[in-house]
Amino acid sequence: MTTNHRFIIRILVALIIAFTGVSCDDHLDDLRENPNAVTSIDDAALFTKAVRSLFQGTTDQSAYRFSGHYGHYFVAGSTARIPDQYGDGFDGQYNDMFTGMYGGVIRHIEEVLQITSNTESKNELRYAMADVIAVLGYAKITDAFGEIPYTEGGKGKSADILQPKYDTQEFIYKDLIDRLSKSIQVIKTADPAMGYPDSDPIFNNNLNLWMRFANSVRLRLAMRLRFADTEFSRQVVSQCANEPLMESNDHNAFMIETEGNGNNWFTYRTGFPSIKMSAKLIEQLQQTNDPRLSVFVEPDGNGAYTGMTNGLNDAAFGSSNFAAKSDMGIALSSKDSELYLITAAEVWLLRAEAALAYDNDVARADEFYRSGLETALRQWELDEASINDFMATPQGSLLGVNDEEQIGVQTWLALIPNYFEGWSHIRRTGYPEIPQRTAPDLAKGVTNGILPKRFLYSSFELSANNNNVMEAISRQGDNKIDTAVWWDIKD
Amino acid sequence: MNKLFLQGAILLFSVMTFAQHTVSGLVLEKDTNTPLVGVAVQVKGTNNGTATAFDGQFKLEGIQKNDVLVFSYLGYETKEVAVEGKENLNVSLTLQAEEMDEVVVTALNIQRDKESLGYSVSQIKSSEVNVARENNVMNSLSGKVSGLQITQSNTGVNGSSRVLLRGVTTISGSNRPLVVVDGIPINNGSGGASSWGGVDRGDDLSDINPDDVASISVLKGAGAAAAYGSLGMNGVILITTKSGTKLKGIGISLNSSFAFTEAYLTPDLQNEYGTGAFGSFAPIAADGRPVLDYPYSWSWGPRMEGQEYTNWLGRPDTFLPQGNPYEAFYSDGYSVSNTISFEGKSEKGSFRLSITDEDGQGIISNNTLSKQTFNIRGATKLSERLNIEGKMTYLTSETLNSPQLAEGAGNTALQLSLMPRDIRLSDVADNTVDANGNEIKWNLDNTFNNPYWALENTGNIDKRDRFQGFLSAKWDVNDDFNITAKTGMDYIVFDFTSFGARGSQAVQNGLGNYAHNTGKERIWNSDILATYNTNIGEFKITANLGASYRDENNSYVNIWGNDSKVSNFYQINNYKNTFNDESVYRKGVNSYYGLAQLSYGGFLYFDATLRNDNSSTLPKDNDSYWYHSENMSLLFTKLLGMDSKVFNYGKIRGSYARVGNDTSPYRTQAVYDIDQTVTLPYTVASIPGSLPSFDLKPETSNSWEVGTELGFFNNRIFIDFTYYETKTKDQIMAVPVSGATAYNSKVVNAGSISNKGIELQFNTIPLETKDFKWDLGFNFTKSDSKVESLNEGLESITLNTLWSVSVEARPGEEFGTIYGYDFKRDNFGRKLITDQGLAQRGDRINMGSINPDWYGGFNTKFTYKNISLGALVSIQQGGEFYSYGRAYRTFFGTDVRSLPGRETGFIEEGINENTGFQNETPTDAMLRQYNNIFVSEIASEQILDASNVKLRELTLSYNFSEKMLQGTFIQRASLSAVGRNLLFFYNAAEDIDPEATYSSGPASTAFEHSSLPSTRTYGLNLKIDF
Repeated sequence: MTTNHRFIIRILVALIIAFTGVSCDDHLDDLRENPNAVTSIDDAALFTKAVRSLFQGTTDQSAYRFSGHYGHYFVAGSTARIPDQYGDGFDGQYNDMFTGMYGGVIRHIEEVLQITSNTESKNELRYAMADVIAVLGYAKITDAFGEIPYTEGGKGKSADILQPKYDTQEFIYKDLIDRLSKSIQVIKTADPAMGYPDSDPIFNNNLNLWMRFANSVRLRLAMRLRFADTEFSRQVVSQCANEPLMESNDHNAFMIETEGNGNNWFTYRTGFPSIKMSAKLIEQLQQTNDPRLSVFVEPDGNGAYTGMTNGLNDAAFGSSNFAAKSDMGIALSSKDSELYLITAAEVWLLRAEAALAYDNDVARADEFYRSGLETALRQWELDEASINDFMATPQGSLLGVNDEEQIGVQTWLALIPNYFEGWSHIRRTGYPEIPQRTAPDLAKGVTNGILPKRFLYSSFELSANNNNVMEAISRQGDNKIDTAVWWDIKD
Repeated sequence: MNKLFLQGAILLFSVMTFAQHTVSGLVLEKDTNTPLVGVAVQVKGTNNGTATAFDGQFKLEGIQKNDVLVFSYLGYETKEVAVEGKENLNVSLTLQAEEMDEVVVTALNIQRDKESLGYSVSQIKSSEVNVARENNVMNSLSGKVSGLQITQSNTGVNGSSRVLLRGVTTISGSNRPLVVVDGIPINNGSGGASSWGGVDRGDDLSDINPDDVASISVLKGAGAAAAYGSLGMNGVILITTKSGTKLKGIGISLNSSFAFTEAYLTPDLQNEYGTGAFGSFAPIAADGRPVLDYPYSWSWGPRMEGQEYTNWLGRPDTFLPQGNPYEAFYSDGYSVSNTISFEGKSEKGSFRLSITDEDGQGIISNNTLSKQTFNIRGATKLSERLNIEGKMTYLTSETLNSPQLAEGAGNTALQLSLMPRDIRLSDVADNTVDANGNEIKWNLDNTFNNPYWALENTGNIDKRDRFQGFLSAKWDVNDDFNITAKTGMDYIVFDFTSFGARGSQAVQNGLGNYAHNTGKERIWNSDILATYNTNIGEFKITANLGASYRDENNSYVNIWGNDSKVSNFYQINNYKNTFNDESVYRKGVNSYYGLAQLSYGGFLYFDATLRNDNSSTLPKDNDSYWYHSENMSLLFTKLLGMDSKVFNYGKIRGSYARVGNDTSPYRTQAVYDIDQTVTLPYTVASIPGSLPSFDLKPETSNSWEVGTELGFFNNRIFIDFTYYETKTKDQIMAVPVSGATAYNSKVVNAGSISNKGIELQFNTIPLETKDFKWDLGFNFTKSDSKVESLNEGLESITLNTLWSVSVEARPGEEFGTIYGYDFKRDNFGRKLITDQGLAQRGDRINMGSINPDWYGGFNTKFTYKNISLGALVSIQQGGEFYSYGRAYRTFFGTDVRSLPGRETGFIEEGINENTGFQNETPTDAMLRQYNNIFVSEIASEQILDASNVKLRELTLSYNFSEKMLQGTFIQRASLSAVGRNLLFFYNAAEDIDPEATYSSGPASTAFEHSSLPSTRTYGLNLKIDF
């Protein structure tokens, strides 16, 4: 090699070393850090996210498109109405709801549960409070779909489980109740300072209210198993009676959405395609002179209360003059209307049902019923006179005839605006009765006119988690909307 | 090749002589007759030689009668002239224009002889992009280059284009080729709206000024692009801009274009039935207007026969069809561009300065573009061995009111196409706002605006400033060795505001809205390259060694608000509810590379590339990757000494390469986002829905290609053929996961795509005489992108959806397969009809693919003396798309396809599902369309064939002859009449342009949704050199 060549190589090496020096690997490391987010967080911020998601879920499409129709509360316009025809061609929406319910509440609450059970950041109280939220999150998913991934569900990040196995609804429900019992024991004796003092959107860290809340949710879950496992249900209900429950509207679990455009029902009512209240609801309220009529329903352009019939076929809907019908009431659909998870009224009415079913104690049932009804009326700031008037009507007390139905119908009304719970309530108790659709102007859908009983597993879930979901279908029954979930066995 | 022929011809005519004498003469440039300074004049076969003086004169002594003089000058064709005893020789040299075609720009801006390349490269001359000028330079390449697929959407005056080289290779990436301008890789994002609306803000390529382009090299395969490592996986488009050259005269050039744009393709609307439903008018509501809710605001009413009725405004009117609303609503647009450039070149250096001003208006009159480009480029020799070169381009543009697209409430084409056929457009224009300031419309649907309300009350302003520049130094260490260092930047600052007035339910429930997005995107690339040349016997060797660092730094700030305080004031302080966010994305890539080229005997060439990339987007332990390529080229005609005039040129080539691709930043870290809240007293954080991967590695793509180039009759027939295969595996993608994981997707390496294709380019000169020349060319591309596998257990990845139709990647199928619901059918394919006479939804099936069976272009040019006429026809055969626009129009009853069965009832073809007999039960035509399209979401009737033959370009040019310009300052001048996208010779989709997409992503051609009318442009181009 000539000196010339050596000279060239020396220059080259020097240049490359110089170049490498200015752009070393450390610099690449700096660029790996995401400047748009943080890598650690106080679990309180995730807890608030999960709680808010739970409230927001009461206005999502599971309510707006599906359970609001199935519960015969209202009829939405345009595409939102189609589920009212009992069809099942909603693959995308089924997947969105499935993903949405896990992605909102479960994703964040699972992270909280993980953080608060880690040895270095362990906090029993926070864990117990978060567990109540997790229970409500999972309960809604299993009520909607039946069997769902539960023990392995929501563990994509914490355990890297991408194809979670499904659990039976029976297992899920019993475990949820067990979790609530454990949470109640912890919350009962805990020091509030260990909770979420500045970041509890529901009760502002009031542990008494939290205990009532957890116990009331336990009662709801227990009563849901009334027909599927009566003995177990009875036993849990009696446990619930030993602890404080929600008793007045001060105990209600509600939230006012102050972010963004506020309560979604405001947007639905004022935007296209709008929402019109159902003929069935208006008829019930009108026939009984229920003062809540003007709360739940707006008068139409002529000052009358005119409802939309649920389930009209396309031709009948086309000529129904939908736009002229009564809107959802302002109290339910203002920007600052309250969103509810569970109310004292519902709890009283569940207790009335339990007293009748498990204790056969009509007097006690009536007492609970009257408390429930009065609490339900007071929830809407009606004037004293109209409350008293209504309490004096036959609706005001149990008369020993069709008491179950009366409790059932009042529970249906008391659940407003938690429409999803209303649908679950109808499925469980059969009240109010939703007759099979036979009239020629009604759509029969894929259920031959019978009220749908669940949402479908989406084709995406069937593809992404095939083995597990097929196993669930083999236990539960065909992936159809008229396949009943486990607790839905009453004729 | 032409040169060889010329030399041979001259030799043939040389005559032998013996006596010695002196020869003097003048060397001029052919055509311009400028004296050439410093031309080498040499007696062939001797050392006797001289050079011309400043006036072009030369003098040589001791010449024999039969000597041949060789005149050579850089940039000109070498000429040999036999002395033949003459004492005075005047010689004119021709500019080496044709020869330039044979030198192509390859990766890292290395200029190479095309003969030596083992892969396919297409090079486009500047005249192909700056005569029939397009705002987006890429559109000018459509139909001209095999393997390159350009889809130009009608999304406004500054719309984006889909650019794909050799098909799709990666499932979740952009698949857009790397664009390198003068050695500096620049931004190349796609643009467009979503199916829910938005506007197309253009892509980064529309910022390249066609008037500054000297040439464009298209490096199609990985073999060509391997030197770019992870950036070059989707091919590379190398743009070389003009540098200063020596021009005759004072060096000033003008290029002016003016063009009209007009709408020419609009949907076929019916003119028989007006507003209403079930063949009847809507009931009249309390306010005296008809019920404006669905279905009454559709065009399913009575036949329009001039009867009296109450129109949508509640006024008595005559029920008559109102013609094509598109024609009345859209106007002719225009574009004007003027470029002036100053250039020069001397022994010490060169410079070029240019300024371009472009102004345009779209077919929506308030959609305008104003763009100015300033460009300065210079080079100088600081010493014999040190060259410095630099360039700065500054561009500033302002686009106003890019039209809203797809399902956007302000999409004027959507509103016009759905307007019941009896509604007078002037009524719509005259009634936009009521006394309370609320929008007046013919329907209650908040998802649509009154088009004139939208025109007057919504808008956007898109401002962009872009700086591109580089600085480079080349040090010639000695004759064989040089080092080039270069640093260059592409820096974009954008500022986008959009707004909607109060009073429309479609705009934030009547509150009005405002958004302001600003950001900057910077790519800074620095590299160094050492080059060493040596000859060892018959071997010529060139070796390069280099390194580069690429730094990307993008940041954005968005603010938006709603509920305006005062009207017609668009500034964030005017909004009661305000929101904002910001983000930063950074990425760095360190690279080291070596290239070697080896040639033997001028007929065998071999080259290899090796590159190592380290990317910050990959985990630290996995971030270093190697890429390589090997290419070979053999000129077998030269090897075998074949020199027949019939078969004059033959080359075979082959290439193998392995390249890769990194990913977008921050996919390897688990994080928490802090939610933006305004009212809450506590903090809310959320976890992103995509699970990160901690062991990500780059995608790898292995590809090979073989090809041949064959020339016949002195290249009057030239064929270039390529076959290639590419397989890309370990694709980085966020695979969707079961919702029960609580997450939407997880970033993984999974799945592979294989591409196979053939490319054929065929050029011929069927006729050539002294005054007349006919060029004819054809290019053909067949490219298949097949999804080989996805992540284990995953059946499909949905790339995009529109209504119920999706475009997907499924194993075993083509990338971009369209899935939608078919009719319910029996085993014989007959539709199963209910007792009510309605069809039903069947299975979700493969309805076609976005990929054409083949595509190509056909170009021809006739030149007679100073006049030339050129035409370019593009052809696409096969490929499908879904037209949601047609679906909408059909069930709203405005499309001509909604006519059958209006009065007699629609009898669906098929068999009764219960009886098995032919269906004879009529159903209401409106219910039929509503049921099929809307309720059952059956897409079968709106899946359209994208095959088309389009007259893409027509150019008539006149070059002013020297005679005409004599005595003026003008050295050269040409005037051209040009037309672009003039018409369809054939369009299988009839009234819909298959290119009418609303975005420019890789799968965007799957969907059409109520696009703006397709436009044609025609205009004039004038070039003058002083």
